[in-house]
Amino acid sequence: MRIKSLLIANRGEIAIRICRTAKMMGIKTYGIKTSKEPKAYYLDFVDEIIDFCESMDEVPEFLDVERIVTIAKKSNIEAIHPGYGFLAESPYFAQRCEEEGVIFIGPSPEAIYKMGNKTIAKRIANRYQVPLLRGSYGNLKSAGEARHIANKIGYPVIFKAAAGGGGRGMRIVEKVSQIEKMFKVASAEAEEAFNDPSVFLEKYVRNPKHIEFQILGDKNGNYVHLGERECSIQRKHQKLIEESPSPVLDKKLRKKMGEDAIKIAEATNYYNAGTVEFLLDDDKKYYFMEMNTRIQVEHSVTEVVTGIDLIEMQIRIAQGEKLPFKQEDIKLTGWAIECRINAEDVQAGFNPYLGIIDKIQYPRSKNIRIDTGITDLSVVTPYFDSMVSKLIVYGETREKAINNCLNALDKFWIKGIKTTIPFCKAVLHHRKFRNGDFNTSFIEKEMKKLHYEGDQNEMLAAYLATFDFAAGLETDRSTYIDFEQGKNISPWVLNKRLRSL
Amino acid sequence: MILSRKKSKDQDSEYIAVTSQDKKYTIKNPFSEELMINHKKIDIKIFDDENGFTYILFKRKKYLAEIVEKTQNKYTVLINGVSYTFSIESPISYKRKKYLEKNKSKSHTELVAAPMPGKIVDLLIEVGDKVKEGESLVILEAMKMQNEIGSPASGTVSKIFIKVGDIVNKEDVLVEIQR
Repeated sequence: MRIKSLLIANRGEIAIRICRTAKMMGIKTYGIKTSKEPKAYYLDFVDEIIDFCESMDEVPEFLDVERIVTIAKKSNIEAIHPGYGFLAESPYFAQRCEEEGVIFIGPSPEAIYKMGNKTIAKRIANRYQVPLLRGSYGNLKSAGEARHIANKIGYPVIFKAAAGGGGRGMRIVEKVSQIEKMFKVASAEAEEAFNDPSVFLEKYVRNPKHIEFQILGDKNGNYVHLGERECSIQRKHQKLIEESPSPVLDKKLRKKMGEDAIKIAEATNYYNAGTVEFLLDDDKKYYFMEMNTRIQVEHSVTEVVTGIDLIEMQIRIAQGEKLPFKQEDIKLTGWAIECRINAEDVQAGFNPYLGIIDKIQYPRSKNIRIDTGITDLSVVTPYFDSMVSKLIVYGETREKAINNCLNALDKFWIKGIKTTIPFCKAVLHHRKFRNGDFNTSFIEKEMKKLHYEGDQNEMLAAYLATFDFAAGLETDRSTYIDFEQGKNISPWVLNKRLRSL
Repeated sequence: MILSRKKSKDQDSEYIAVTSQDKKYTIKNPFSEELMINHKKIDIKIFDDENGFTYILFKRKKYLAEIVEKTQNKYTVLINGVSYTFSIESPISYKRKKYLEKNKSKSHTELVAAPMPGKIVDLLIEVGDKVKEGESLVILEAMKMQNEIGSPASGTVSKIFIKVGDIVNKEDVLVEIQR
C-alpha cells in the first residue's frame, strides 16, 4: 500500500524535516498546533493543522497518546510519524496505533519495548554474543544490591535509567561512600523523566568514544547498516557535535561493529530505522550500550555521506516495501559534521536561553545543509528542548569538512538569543579534535574555554558599548538632528537617534 | 544649530569601558576618524545591514554585534555570540569609582541565585551547615534535567529562602552563605 496522509506527532526541526520528505513523496501532512507555541515555524510546512490549543488534560500535547490516535482516526489520517523524543519510543503508542489501524512509522511495539528496556536489550545482546560491559544485567532492587555488584566489578560504576535516554537518570559513582545517594538521585530522575524509577548499574568506562550505527530493516527480514556516527562530543550525556564517518574506525572494525548492530536488530525482528550505540575504549574494544528505536537528531550526517533519505526509507518500510539496496551497495562518501545549535548560554554553564529570535540568517553553499525549526520572530519557550537548529556540513575529507563548518558557523547569524555556536567553534578549532584524538570526556578534560572568541572580540565589544553610550549622551543633549553634523555621523548612530525620537 | 561645542565635545570624547574583570579600554573620539583605543589609532566601523543585523567591520572581517542589555552605563554586548559586560565611565567617574572601591569593605555575604527558572526538587543543606566552594546546595529541575546548584564560596549557610517543591524564577535568591 501507499501512505497518502501523515500526521506528524512532533514539532521543531524534525517536523519540518519529515514534511520535506513527505511532500516529495506526495503525502499530505498534518501538524499539531499547541498553545505553547501557536505560531511555531513547523506549522508553515504542513498541509493541514490540527488544533490542540484547547487544553484537554494534564498530559502535554505531544505525549497525549489517546488524543493523537483519536484525531488521526477521526481525520482519516493513514499514518503517524513520531519524530524523536515525545512518543517516538513508546511501545504503548505504537500499540495503540496498531490497534486503531493507523500506521506507526517505526518498529513494532514489541521491538520498541524490548530495546527500550535496557536490561532486556542487554540480555538479548548477551545471547547473540555482542560484547557487553559487566554490570547488574537487570534492574536494581536496592542500594544494597548496587553496592554489592559495584564491589564485585570495581569502581567506577554508572547508574542508568532502564527506560532512559538523553542522559537523564545517569550517575557516575567513583567510590562506595557515594553509592546510596547516587542510587536515590538516579532513581528519582528516572521516575521524573520516564515514569519509571528502575535503574541498572554497569562498569563505567573512562573516556570512551560514543560510536553508533545506523541500521535499516524491512518487514521481510532484510537488513543493512549505513555506517557509523561519531557522537563523542557530549556534555552531561547530551550530544552537541556529531560526524560520519568516525576518524578512528577502519574498514574491518566498521564491518564487525556493523554486523553486530544488525544482529541486535535481527534478534527482535526489527524493522524501520534504528540506531545501535556502542562504547569504544582506548584499545578499540567495543561494547553494546543500547538501541534507539527511532530516527535520531543526528541522522542527517548519515544521509549526507550515504545519499540515502532516512525518513523516506522509514515511510517505505512502513508501507511494506523491501529495502532497495543491499549491504554492498552502501558507500560512505566524504565527511559530514553536524553542529547542534541550541538556545543555550555557553558562558553560563549551558543554561537555556529563552527569548525571541529577532533575526536569523543562514550560511549558504552546496556543502551546507540546514535543518531548522525556527525563523525570524520565533519564540524559544521553556516548554521544549533547547535545540533550535542543526548545521550539517560536508567536506571531501575530515579536514575540509571541519574548515567548511567553521566558515559556515561564522555566517550563521542569530539575533535575540545566545546559542551554542561559540562552543561549536571552540571544538572545531581545538587541535585534539582536529587530530581525531577525543572521547566523551573531551569537553570536561580538554577544553579550557568552552566558547571561541577572536583576540579582538572584547575590544570590539568595548567599542560598541562605548559608541552606543556616547551616542545616547549626544541624543540627550540635542533635541533635534543637526543635519550639518549629521553628514559626519555614522549611519548607525543616525539610525539610533531617529529611532529614539 | 549647535553652539560652539567643539571644545567641550573634545573634552567629553574620552571614555573608559571597564570589563567585569576590571580590564579597561580607553576609547577616544568614538564617532570620528580619529578614533583611538588604548591610545592607538584604529579603524573600526559599525553597520546596520538591510536584514536587521548590526555588525562591526574590522580588518576586513565582519563581526556580528548586538547590545543585549543596557541600564544607565552598564552594557552587555554580544560579539559573534559571545557576551561581554562593561560599565562605561568618563575619566572623572572612573577615578571616583576606583576611589570608592578602595574604601568599600569587602562583603562577607554571598547570595546564591537560581541560574534558570525551574522547580526545587531537593535541598541538600540546612541553616548552619558548613559548605565548601562548589559543593551542591540545591537541586533545581529545569528542562527535565536535575541541576545541582553549587556554593559560590566556602562558608556557612545563613539563610534558606526556598523549600522543596517551590517554583523559582531566574535570579531568584535561593540561599545565603556567610564567608
